[in-house]
Parts: sequence; structure tokens; C-alpha cells
Amino acid sequence: MENFTYFFTFQDPSIFYVVIGITLLGLGSAYVGTYSFLDKKALLGDAISHAVLPGICLGFILAGEKNPLFIVGGAFLSGALATFLTSWLKSNTKLSEDAIIASILSIFFGFGIVLLTVIQKSGNPEMAGLNHFIFGNAIAILEEDLWIYGGLAVMIIVALTLFQKEFSLLVFNADYGQSIGYPMGMIRLVFNVLMILSVVIGIQAIGVVLMAALLITPGAAARFWTDNLSKLLVLSGLFAVVSGIAGTYVSFVIPQMPTGPWVVVCLSLIAFLSFLFAPKKGTISRYFSRNKYLKKTQNEHVLKALYKAKELGQAPLTIENIYELYPYQKKETEQSINYLFKNGLLVKNQEVIRLTNYGVSEAQRVVRLHRLWETYLTEYMNIAPDHVHDSAEKLEHIITPELEAMLEKRLNFPQVDPHQENIPRDNYEL
Amino acid sequence: MIVQAQSPILEVHDLIVSYEQSPVLWNVDLTLPQGQLIGILGPNGAGKSTLIKAIMGLVNPTGGYVKIFDKSLEEVRSRISYVPQRESVDWNFPASVLDVVMMGTYGKLGLFKRPGKKEKEIALASLDKVGMSAFINRQISELSGGQQQRVFLARALAQDADLYLMDEPFAGVDMATETAIFELLKQMTKEGKTVIVVHHDIYSAMNYFNWIVMLNLHLVASGPKETVVTEELLRKTYGGKLNLLSKVSELVRKQNFNPLKN
Repeated sequence: MENFTYFFTFQDPSIFYVVIGITLLGLGSAYVGTYSFLDKKALLGDAISHAVLPGICLGFILAGEKNPLFIVGGAFLSGALATFLTSWLKSNTKLSEDAIIASILSIFFGFGIVLLTVIQKSGNPEMAGLNHFIFGNAIAILEEDLWIYGGLAVMIIVALTLFQKEFSLLVFNADYGQSIGYPMGMIRLVFNVLMILSVVIGIQAIGVVLMAALLITPGAAARFWTDNLSKLLVLSGLFAVVSGIAGTYVSFVIPQMPTGPWVVVCLSLIAFLSFLFAPKKGTISRYFSRNKYLKKTQNEHVLKALYKAKELGQAPLTIENIYELYPYQKKETEQSINYLFKNGLLVKNQEVIRLTNYGVSEAQRVVRLHRLWETYLTEYMNIAPDHVHDSAEKLEHIITPELEAMLEKRLNFPQVDPHQENIPRDNYEL
Repeated sequence: MIVQAQSPILEVHDLIVSYEQSPVLWNVDLTLPQGQLIGILGPNGAGKSTLIKAIMGLVNPTGGYVKIFDKSLEEVRSRISYVPQRESVDWNFPASVLDVVMMGTYGKLGLFKRPGKKEKEIALASLDKVGMSAFINRQISELSGGQQQRVFLARALAQDADLYLMDEPFAGVDMATETAIFELLKQMTKEGKTVIVVHHDIYSAMNYFNWIVMLNLHLVASGPKETVVTEELLRKTYGGKLNLLSKVSELVRKQNFNPLKN
């Protein structure tokens, strides 16, 4: 708790700077990453982030120390080379894109590890902390580094905001953009530069191995919550910032703990929660709406059974009769009967149940949709009358009033279905 | 049977286009008149979309050139509107109907500037023309095929061009939309605009277009409907794959270099 208050009250100005840095980084990379996620280029981000490692090492070798300018410059150049090679190989060979990206990623990263080992063997006293670039350590960032990383992050955010219309066009419909005379090749180039820069600014805090997660996961998680681009960008930025700060806090509390993995853990948690709980697109909400639909079909089946018995002039059904109709769904059937009873669709008289007037009208609606659909299938789609029942059994639950009106009109308000059964309407008397 | 137009609005001169170096359009040479509803017909893979992409400069020709209003494309771009195939974009992109139609104003707006009130008004008016006013804030992922097509059309209208090039605007739309789109295109040609439409259905084409271009890797016919719609030309266009031409294409593709490049 002490640590917590110490960290979040920013008594230590260096912590304050680090939090500002990680916030800018989170916003910038989530912003770029959301576009590349929408552009279905998520893997490219992963390749770039692995590919900056040799550049970092070469920058270090050239400078002989951890000079941020050399390191950032080297990282940018090797990221740019990887991006260029990817698109060059794609247009000049018959290799598929996934093979190209996988090769580029592993070749560059492997080469980077070789260089890193060489540096570690060289005994240069400045090399301490160089392996932070693999998994990241936000706390180890110095104030002078922050000016470069933060400055670049601000630049990325500003550029993306200025170009929002152009980048949306690039992702949604680049051909159209070109047709109205926009320099789409140039816009793609600027976007790639921003993407490489966003990887570069994350190398020290998050590390090259996991930087792709900070690019892609926020957008992917936010996509569960909204269909609006502006909201998507804001939400993904928020996810990235929260995770970034949480990861930084952990590496502050536990010495030697890298930041990157903890940022990823936190991001994954957010993504998982989004996957589960997001309204409409979340798994739980989908489960509930499916459940609701299944209950509705069960209710309507019970209504139909009661109605059909009445139509055939049979004695009113008992609860036991209805259970027999659905022998494997006794519990669900019981729930349906209770539901229909509570909502005034049927009345119970000891074991015997009857439809109320409201219940009859609802049952008629379902039976009508069923029989209208059967008629449509036989008349317009030339399907044999003994093949239409199964489809009607499903569609009777989902056909909307508008579609019903269209069916009625198209079929010219038929009296009977292909099995010569009456199609009941509201004023129809049994 | 290739009829040349008097004072043409579009001239395609000896155009050759190749994909992966194998030619998909051989020496297409035609001129098209102004103020007409023009249909480009041909079987699958005949190069119809490629032709309008080449006209729009979206694919680079291996040979030949295109002149529009007797000028190069770059000089007259703002007077031309291109409607890509509906399937060519990802409709899950998080945007509303209005967002997409606003793109129609981007050409005149230029880079960097953000669309404002004037652009919104243009977009709303265009949506009204295609009968989509009720869907302004709808997410594009929730639209039916016909509605998506109307949105694309509204975007084109927002460009306020003189020449429209549309790639399969009737593909996958319901009957009501098809009629509505056709009426709209007819109206546009009455106002002196030229509309070129890639179309796959030969039967409806007979009712829709007054000038027809028939394509099957090469130009089979181009001219007023009455002159070019003959059994012989239709057979030439639709009568199966052109065996020899596809064999030559295959041969070219197998070379390790592009033999058609100068």
C-alpha cells in the first residue's frame, strides 16, 4: 500500500515522468495499432517490433554507449528496412505474405540476438541494461530518454489526428482514395513510418518482443465495445494507458521485474473481459440472447401444441400430455408453462391447461407464420410439401411482422397451407 | 463491330493491361459518347473491371493510353467519379453511412482539411437522392447488399462529377434497388452526365443501356445498342473462353521476365 501511494502520488518526479512517458506511448501505439488492426496488418507490427533489435545493437556499437539518438535511429532504420523488404518481397516474388512476415521477423530477430551476444562478450561497461530492450523496463528509463520517446509519441498522435480522414480512406477503400487523386502510396508510406516510430518508442518501456501486443491488443479489445471509429480510438488508447501504467507499477514494486510482460498480462485481461462481457458482441451477452431465443421457441412450441389440440377438437391437454410431447425437455417445458401462465397466455385448472384469448391469438400468430412460410416454399421455391416443415419450424420464431406482411401480400392472403390446414388470422374462429 | 463516337468524352487507345505479366486486356481501342448510359458487358474474367480500373489509373497499363474530355486523367480527375465493386471493401469497418458518403466530398476538399457543414449538407442531399435518408447514422456493417450499393452511389453523387464509372452497381441488389438505381442513372444522363456501368446480366442490359461495349479479353464490340447487339457478336463475347488467347496469356505468364514490356 505504501508503494502504491508513493507511486501514484508522484512524490518522486522521475516516476511522474515515466508515467507521462508510458501514457503518451500507450496512446500513440494504440492509435497506430488500431488502424493497422482494422487494415488486417496486425502481423506486420509484430515483424517490425522484432526487426528493430539489430538496429538497436548496431546503434549501441556505433555510439559505444546507450545514446538514445543512436539507438532510436538504428531501431528506426532496421524497422524501415524490414517493412520495405516485406513489401518488396511481396511484389517481386511469389511467396505468400505470411511466409514473408514470418521469415523477416525471425531473420532480423535472430541477427539482433547475435549482435546482442557479441556486445555482451565485448565487456563494454556501458552495456548494462541493454537487455532491457528485449522485455522492456519502464522504470529504468532516464529523463533524457523520455524527451525523445515522449516527443516522438506526441508527433505520432498529432500526425494521426491530422491525417484521420486520409488514414480511414487508406484502410477502408484505398482504390477510391486514389481515384479522387489522393496520393495513397505516400499516405501508406507515412502510415508505415508512424507504425515503425510507434514500435521504436516502445522498445525501452515494453521491449521488442512484446511491443506488438501494445499495438494490436488495445484495438482488438476495444472493437468488442463499439462500432464507431472515434470511440474505438479513444477506448483503445485508454486500455493501452491503463495497462502501461499497471505494468510500470509492477516493475517499480518488484525490482528487476520487466515491464513488457506485465503490460501484456494486463492488456490480455482487458481483452479477455471484453471478449466475455462486452454488450452485443461479448460471449456472455451472446449466450444470453441465444438462451432467450431458445426460451421463446420453447414457449411458442407449447402454445402451438395447445392450439393444435384445440384445432383438431381434442380434449384440453394436461400438463402431463405436454411433457410427453417433449420427453427430453421436461424442465424447460415446465418453465415455459409457468412463464405462459404468469403472462396470461394460459390458465391452469388443476392438471388441465387452456389457452386464454390472448394465448390463442399468440398461438395463431406462430401457426400462421409457420403455414405461410410452408406455402411460400411450395409455391415460390418449388419445394415438395413434405419437405417444408423443418424449415418452417425454425423460421416461425424469427419472421418479423414486416416480412409477414410481405408474405401475405405475395401469396395473396391464402386460406390454407400446402397440407390443407387452415392459416388462422386474428378474427378466425375455431 | 466498333462504332467510334462523335466528339468523344472518353478515348481508350490501344490499351494493354497485364496482371502478373499475363495480359488480361488486349489492345482495347474505343471512343465513347457523352450523355449516354453505357454498359460494359462480358463474361466472368473478361477484363471488364480491369478496363475501368485502367481508365481510373488504378492499374498501370502495359501499353496504350486513356484520354478523358480530351485531356489526361490527372487534369480532369475532379470531374470523374469511380464506384468500386461493393465486395472490394470491408463493410465491417467502423463507420456510419454518413461517414462513407462524406468521402465523396474529399476530392474537392483536398488533403488535411476536415469536412465541415457544407460537406455534410452535400452528403445528406446525396443520401436523399438514393432514398437512404433514414439510415444516416446506421453502421455500414448493418446494411443489406442493396443498401450498401446505394451508399456507394450516394458517395459518387456527392462528388458531383460529369463522368461516372461504376463497377457492378447492380450486383447483389434487390429488385427495388435495381429499379431505383436505374432510374437515378437515367436521370443523371438526362442532365448530360455520362455513366459507364460494368454489368454482367445480358438480359437486363438490353433494357438499361443505350450504348454497349462488349468485352472478352479483347474488344468485341462498342456502339449504340441497336447496331451492336447481334447474335454473332453476343456469341463472340459469351461463347466460351477464347482458347488461343488464354493459351498465349499462359505462355506469357510462364516466362521469367515480361516479354511485353518495351
